[in-house]
Amino acid sequence: MMYSTVLQDISYAMRLLAKKPSFTILTTLVMAAGIGLSVFMFSFLNTILFKDLPFTDGGSLVIFSGSENGYHNQNRLNSHDYFEIKKQLQGVSEFSLYYDTAVNVAGNDGARRYKAILIAPNFFELTRTPPILGREFSDAENQPGTEAITLISFDLWKNIYAGDKNIIGKLILINGVNHEIIGVMPQGYAFPDSADLWLPIKQHPTQLTRGQAEPIYGLAHLDEGTSIEDVNRQLDLIMQRIEQNYPQTNHGIGAYITSIPWANVQDGDVIIYTMLIVALLVFILASINVGNLLLSRAVERRKETAIRVALGAPRSRLISQMLWESIIICSLGGLIGLLVMAWGLQVTQKITATFFTDPLPFWWEFGLDNFTLSLFFLFVICSIVVTGLLPAWKNSAEDFNGVLRDGTRGATSKKSGRINKLLVMSEIFISMTVLISAVSLTVASYIERNINIGADTDNTIVAKVILSDTDYPTKASRVLFAKTLTSRLENSSNIGDVMISKKLPGFRADTALFEIEGKEYTQKNNEQYPKANNISTTIGSLKKLGVKLHHGRYFNSSDEGLEKYTAVITQSFAERHFGTQSSLGRRFRLISENGKPQDWLTIVGVVAHTAQGDDIYAKIPSVFRPYSQVPKGTISIAMRVQTDNSATIRQLRATLKSIDAQLPAYRIETYNQGIERMAAPLKFVSSLTLLCGLAAVILAGSGIYGVMSNTINQRTQEIGVKQALGADEDLIIKEFMTTGLKQLLWGGFPGVFAGCFLGFAILQLFNNGLSILIIITLSIIMFIGSIVMIATYLPTKRALKMEPSEALHYE
Amino acid sequence: MSNILIRLNDVNKVFYTDEVETHALSNISLVINKGEYVSISGPSGCGKSTLLNLIGLLDTSNSGIYQLLAHDVSGISKKERARIRNKDIGFIFQSFNLISDLTVEENVNLPLSYRKDLTKNEREQFVLSSLKKVNMEHRANHFPSQLSGGQQQRVAIARAIAGNPSIILADEPTGNLDSENAETIMTLLDLLHKEGTTICMVTHDPRSAKRATRSIDILDGQIIADKNNNQTNLNHINTHQTDAA
Repeated sequence: MMYSTVLQDISYAMRLLAKKPSFTILTTLVMAAGIGLSVFMFSFLNTILFKDLPFTDGGSLVIFSGSENGYHNQNRLNSHDYFEIKKQLQGVSEFSLYYDTAVNVAGNDGARRYKAILIAPNFFELTRTPPILGREFSDAENQPGTEAITLISFDLWKNIYAGDKNIIGKLILINGVNHEIIGVMPQGYAFPDSADLWLPIKQHPTQLTRGQAEPIYGLAHLDEGTSIEDVNRQLDLIMQRIEQNYPQTNHGIGAYITSIPWANVQDGDVIIYTMLIVALLVFILASINVGNLLLSRAVERRKETAIRVALGAPRSRLISQMLWESIIICSLGGLIGLLVMAWGLQVTQKITATFFTDPLPFWWEFGLDNFTLSLFFLFVICSIVVTGLLPAWKNSAEDFNGVLRDGTRGATSKKSGRINKLLVMSEIFISMTVLISAVSLTVASYIERNINIGADTDNTIVAKVILSDTDYPTKASRVLFAKTLTSRLENSSNIGDVMISKKLPGFRADTALFEIEGKEYTQKNNEQYPKANNISTTIGSLKKLGVKLHHGRYFNSSDEGLEKYTAVITQSFAERHFGTQSSLGRRFRLISENGKPQDWLTIVGVVAHTAQGDDIYAKIPSVFRPYSQVPKGTISIAMRVQTDNSATIRQLRATLKSIDAQLPAYRIETYNQGIERMAAPLKFVSSLTLLCGLAAVILAGSGIYGVMSNTINQRTQEIGVKQALGADEDLIIKEFMTTGLKQLLWGGFPGVFAGCFLGFAILQLFNNGLSILIIITLSIIMFIGSIVMIATYLPTKRALKMEPSEALHYE
Repeated sequence: MSNILIRLNDVNKVFYTDEVETHALSNISLVINKGEYVSISGPSGCGKSTLLNLIGLLDTSNSGIYQLLAHDVSGISKKERARIRNKDIGFIFQSFNLISDLTVEENVNLPLSYRKDLTKNEREQFVLSSLKKVNMEHRANHFPSQLSGGQQQRVAIARAIAGNPSIILADEPTGNLDSENAETIMTLLDLLHKEGTTICMVTHDPRSAKRATRSIDILDGQIIADKNNNQTNLNHINTHQTDAA
């Protein structure tokens, strides 16, 4: 009986939907967009940020990073500071540490570049993951001077050694040194993110000075009952105490913990939460729209419902009949959304792979996992409740006697008027919030990606090369390598100018503290050591890169030689530390934490500011040194393309092979691609948010129009009454426009507040001014305002086209 | 000075739906004098409400001449029609047609609020006096949903008379009411008539029709009878005869 009743209701709902195919298609697509887009965003963010790492206790694992002046910029920590933290910190246990580096690994077909992690012996214990072959290493094997050993990743084992079961004990040539392979890690394991090799760190701070020890990231497990915030509060106090002991070098330096996935977010949590809010709001917007369309259909069918009531239909049956329409629309829409989302997640896997030159973090596996499917079902159920229950309840609770008598409705009921107003205000609120935050993120991202880096990046191929200590042990050998490479490349027909630098403009560089001659840096005068990017570059590179000379000269042959001490500074450095005085001829030097005085450097030139990295890093001034004075191991090469990109790349590889057959070039790409890649994650999330924003525009635009049109439609009889009483068209239009304006204000004000709150937080994150937010907000107010006004004007005008007598009897 | 309030000459109204022509009114000619109490009766669909709509300027005719207070209003603009409705015509509907968002007082004030020649104080006085006339001043701050059907219709009458119109057009004013409330409303209309208000009422109810001083019967869009209820003679008249009268 019950079964047949349900079947009857389903069949009735299907018949009704089939009768109005355009309505069915529209509502289904709106629901598909709402559910698909929202669940996609949640699934995407869950995969990269919220999901526990795929090993035992992965959820309690935290990483210690360094902050600077309150910015959580994922710096490495001074090892001495970390050991101090370890001694004092409560609420975490099982400390470990690591840092990552790029290494050259020699193979039969030449050397390749891999990502190596230098780790403490207990590193793998923290992830509760033993090697699948071989063993971990001991404390004894982590001592300096002990034999070189390594563990390799599953992929490396498969790719280089074809999964050789007898790999343990074999040698692998890393940066020119033979290392014994002692273990192979399981498939998919690349902790902390995309590691290929793990090597003993072989350093202990007690054996090294503060300046000598390599900075590291710390790892630990959070104790049960301790929160990340609790630990970060302790870390603030500990780091303040350390700063008091080392005021010049540790000024503004802090430490903080996050889960491993959140480490890369740095201070971008506002972006993440904005994305989640936007996703949720888009879903609500879609549900409101479909709910409104179903509500207006329910109003259209009042008479039919009244007849059913008169014939004795129970209320539950009426609700059930109307609910089936929602169930069918939301389920069908959800299914379409799910299919598109599954495709979207697959595409996301490919797009995100372009964010990094390394493989993606090992836990970034996008797809229809348990979380996504559970959330999908939850959203479908919520959408059914939101879209179906309200119209069903409203219609079943109507005064059907009045409806059947076709009389006493007098004018629209107060309750339905209130519901309509609430719907419009909700739509306005949501669309304002979504649009202001989405556009703020998009604009911030656009500005971020279009900063002037201070160099000409067009028509240029860049690449990186690591000169290992083993193969290039002396500074002279590195200088010789750079000179040889430059001259051979420039003499080839495929390549124009060649620039070699530790870091090219646009890319994040190592910073250092300096001391300017004549200034006193004491705790008493609260003078801090100036901080700047410390970049070595070959002679001629700055000019060839198009970095403009402001004063003095570029480096020339007179600066060549390890015994020379000259520098070129950026205008930003000059302004900050010499003010209006000339900086040419002034001297400064590097601060050494081990107390050993460094040589004074004489400023010979001032060039335009170069942005080294994005975000706050773009504003840090730079100090350039001739590569011949400070030759570094890792170098970036930039080559002006003469013929085509592939010929340039081939030429680079051939030239490198001719100099050193075991020296690979990596991160080979166009200069512009490299710069774009840095901002690619931001571009992607801002594009996603903008996509939600666009969906919100379409949903809100059509939704506001739909609700307004529906509201005015329901008030047609009222318009007729007012006309009968002598109101002319202008008066009625004015009255309805005023009502529309009031709704715009009621929904818009909190929407502007919420949107500006999120927008301000986003723009602040990128150091953008309030003026941008004001322009964005005003534009969106105008935009939404226009939609509301048009959505009010057109249906009112349409209603006024009727004669009053017609409007009075309009149903 | 002419006593004629309304004059219709050869008025026709045709509705077009899906290529079907419906002649709602055919060659209607009619005069209503000031102070008359006219009832219009006839079966459903005969055109009585259409006639009332034309008289009330809620609709326009396809042909013919309509004079209100000696002015030809047949081809006037929508704006001018609205102005005349506001100033010279008061409507009472079967379904009351009160605005549910407005209080009783605001509902009655509604037509007055469209007039520019009245001050706020004048409007308040008009509202109060018309509410007193229908004995609803004590419910001035209530919303229509808080009133019974009869009370709602009394408010509607107050709204119709608030601006002191030249004529009150009532379309089945007791159609949605029980007999007790219907009697109250009819008594009110009688009272208004006695005070000199011109009333034109469409009704199905013969008892209500008899309370008018003149009864017009319509069938298939044509006037088939026009009788003075104070006389016994029944005049079957054509439009020209009525015009002459």
